Amino acid sequence: MRPFSSFVLAAAALLCGGSVAASVGEEYGWWGPGQEGSFPAVADYPNAEGTLRTLLVGAPVETADHPFFAPIGPSGRACITCHQPSDAMGLSVETIRRRWEETAGRDPLFAAVDGSNCPILPQDRRESHSLLLDHGLIRIQRPWPPRDGADRPVDPDFDIEVVRDPWGCNSGSEYGLRARQPSISVYRRPRPVANLKYLTAVGFAYDPKQGLPLPRDPETGELISGNLMADGRAGTLHGQIRDAAPTHLEFFDEMSREQRLRIIDFETRIFTAQYRHRIGGRLDDFGAQGGPDVLARSEPGQLGSIGRAVWSEFEAWENIPADAPISAEERAFKQSVARGARTFRERTFLITDSAGINSPIGFGNPVRNSCVFCHNMTMMGNDVAPGQVDLGTTNLPFADPAPHLPLFRITCRRDPHPHYGRVILTHDPGYALTTGRCADVGKITLQSMRGLSARAPYFANGSATDLRAVVDYYDRRYDIRYTEQEKQDLVNLMSVL
Amino acid sequence: MTRASALAALAALASAGAAEAQSVRFVACPIYRDTDAGRKSGCWLADEAASGIRYDVSRSPTQPDWNFEILIEGEPADEPDTACGGRVLHPVRVSVLPGACTRHMLPAEGHPGRRFVLPPRNVRPLSEARPPLEGPATTRTFHILFDFNRAFLVYQLSDYLFDQAITYIRSADPRRIVVTGHAATRPTLVSGRELAEDPAIAEARASLIREALVRMGVPEDRIVVRTRTEADIVAAEGADGLAEPSRRRVDILVEVAGTQEQARRPGGGAPSRPAGQ
Ligand code: HEC
Ligand code: HEC
Repeated sequence: MRPFSSFVLAAAALLCGGSVAASVGEEYGWWGPGQEGSFPAVADYPNAEGTLRTLLVGAPVETADHPFFAPIGPSGRACITCHQPSDAMGLSVETIRRRWEETAGRDPLFAAVDGSNCPILPQDRRESHSLLLDHGLIRIQRPWPPRDGADRPVDPDFDIEVVRDPWGCNSGSEYGLRARQPSISVYRRPRPVANLKYLTAVGFAYDPKQGLPLPRDPETGELISGNLMADGRAGTLHGQIRDAAPTHLEFFDEMSREQRLRIIDFETRIFTAQYRHRIGGRLDDFGAQGGPDVLARSEPGQLGSIGRAVWSEFEAWENIPADAPISAEERAFKQSVARGARTFRERTFLITDSAGINSPIGFGNPVRNSCVFCHNMTMMGNDVAPGQVDLGTTNLPFADPAPHLPLFRITCRRDPHPHYGRVILTHDPGYALTTGRCADVGKITLQSMRGLSARAPYFANGSATDLRAVVDYYDRRYDIRYTEQEKQDLVNLMSVL
Repeated sequence: MTRASALAALAALASAGAAEAQSVRFVACPIYRDTDAGRKSGCWLADEAASGIRYDVSRSPTQPDWNFEILIEGEPADEPDTACGGRVLHPVRVSVLPGACTRHMLPAEGHPGRRFVLPPRNVRPLSEARPPLEGPATTRTFHILFDFNRAFLVYQLSDYLFDQAITYIRSADPRRIVVTGHAATRPTLVSGRELAEDPAIAEARASLIREALVRMGVPEDRIVVRTRTEADIVAAEGADGLAEPSRRRVDILVEVAGTQEQARRPGGGAPSRPAGQ
């Protein structure tokens, strides 16, 4: 693998006239907390599918004492620990494993608080960190009874019991429902902290899934997009930091507004996407518009079905001139990506029993549609409306077997769940841990779809080890019966986002 | 409602009398026909037990869930039944009821289904400016309609109606807004059973609309909330002339200082009957 620093240098020389300090960085591009320097305006990072590029628009960011980069808590961690530039500002399991090997498990990433399966386990053993090392999962501890996005207590309409607790964090005396401060621990993948203007964009004033206008941020009075965090517990980037600091960083002092603003300033200026593919070459040639540049320049929050179609960035590759100077292999790959974009939009199947889509909104159960029905935002593939949908990734019987995860039994107290009935078995109640409603059990906020090649595994619980596994999950879940070609086209498309 | 608008409502219904006579209202288990003319092109059918007629209910804003009974309210349209293989109801409303059904799916059997067309009642993105109010603001009532026993803004129906109301409110600067939640609590006999809405749904609807107004920036102290059971029939734009669905509603009375409500067709914008799609 090519060293990180040479990539930064090359990109910097090419695009920014060398204004970027090719700071530091180890072989594979690990950006450690406390690492000082100027965050590169443009940097390229190799991954198995090709090259990811990050763009920082606007003024340079000095990382020294910057609250996103500096280890402000006692654990030696910073936000950057779990949101790595080389990993599309998320964190791949590959990086996690390499970190474990290189530091003999001593990197602050593996801190007991949430970098282990449960803090009560012996921390020096690999198996105590197996969820992170094998599935890329961070422990997320949510209060029970639930608290909503504004941290107000919610009276839930369901009861929760622990069916299986492999690590002791849900049923012990220190952590879990019987602890002094009752809580539920679920395990989730870090979400990418880039291209955030798309996740905070508000396209419409209404949330059709909730049958209400969007809520407003009490601080600013602005409408809230509802597209942050798997369970929607933080409505805004400020709210997200308030959630992250005391948990991931064990930083219990109130972070100052100035510190939060510095974090948000950085978060909202960083864009990322795959930039080159190992076979497909450049992603922005022959009229295509792959790569992060166009993301930084475009208006977020557009609905693909009434504006620019989702992944139409690659449409031009449908008609690469016959005499174009490219290899047959590269041409075939690019054409596959273009077909994949069409398959994503146009190949329909019956979507069934997915709350948020098939209920309570009146699309019908089933409803014939395609991937783009839910992944509908132009250029990002998240949902323009708040994206809380139960795909079944965490709810039985649709979830893949996951003996390593806790299992909860939810009993709805009032109306039964429209698709599961009164009792639901789930690995992660998702949005219901924020709303307290059994109708929301297993709803997970759609992620952005950029930089996927840099941040496997996929889905909030890491259940899809690679992009093929994502497609296979959908194929099983909705009995799609994709052809082998369609599957490969979808995988190729997603590998260049 | 003022006396004038009540009279107008009755007059509108009387003139719709002919259609009214043949309108259907029944409860059934839905049947999904898996036609494929692209996204959202599947067909929904329902057999009326009393007549034995198979109806095509696909044009309802709310589509069925194949696991639950539905209440169908509609008017047979003068259209061939080829698209889905059932007598077309249009306008039509489907409400999902709690009763369980066995899911049933038919193959397309040569029926093409209907290509999805964006319905005329769709909320525009925030990036599109709303047309400004024409003429001086007056006191007006907006009717926001609901499915049976539900307090949920129906996608591409009541969200659109509400958006019209809020757009009007923003330019009219009303001194007071009276939100009246209605529940159709008087039992009616449908497919051999008595159907009546829960009286509590009036309150649930009213507080939903109140919350919606507040989220859209209306000061709380300008909103007055009321409820009514035994809801009456009104000529609501969103009901497309269907009587029973017009009972299930919230009235948003926008009181503009110094003006009286005019007897006029509420809504504006979209046609009072759905345009053929
Ligand atoms: C220990 C690892 C870890 C650390 C440290 C960490 N995060 Fe995260 N971050 C996560 C995980 C896991 C999620 C997903 C949580 C969920 O979905 O419930 C997440 C989600 C986010 C999101 C939401 C993105 C989206 O698309 O929804 C933002 C923004 C974010 N983190 C910013 C930060 C900031 C700012 C800091 C430092 C104050 C930070 N993170 C520190 C693991 C971490
Ligand atoms: C019914 C709505 C829906 C449809 C249709 C849908 N998705 Fe998703 N998608 C989701 C939700 C919800 C999530 C988040 C689930 C989770 O993380 O557990 C998701 C997550 C993903 C992710 C994971 C992203 C990440 O960062 O881990 C990928 C990739 C993806 N979808 C691709 C697809 C493809 C390809 C299709 C078509 C075969 C598709 N989706 C169809 C709702 C949908």
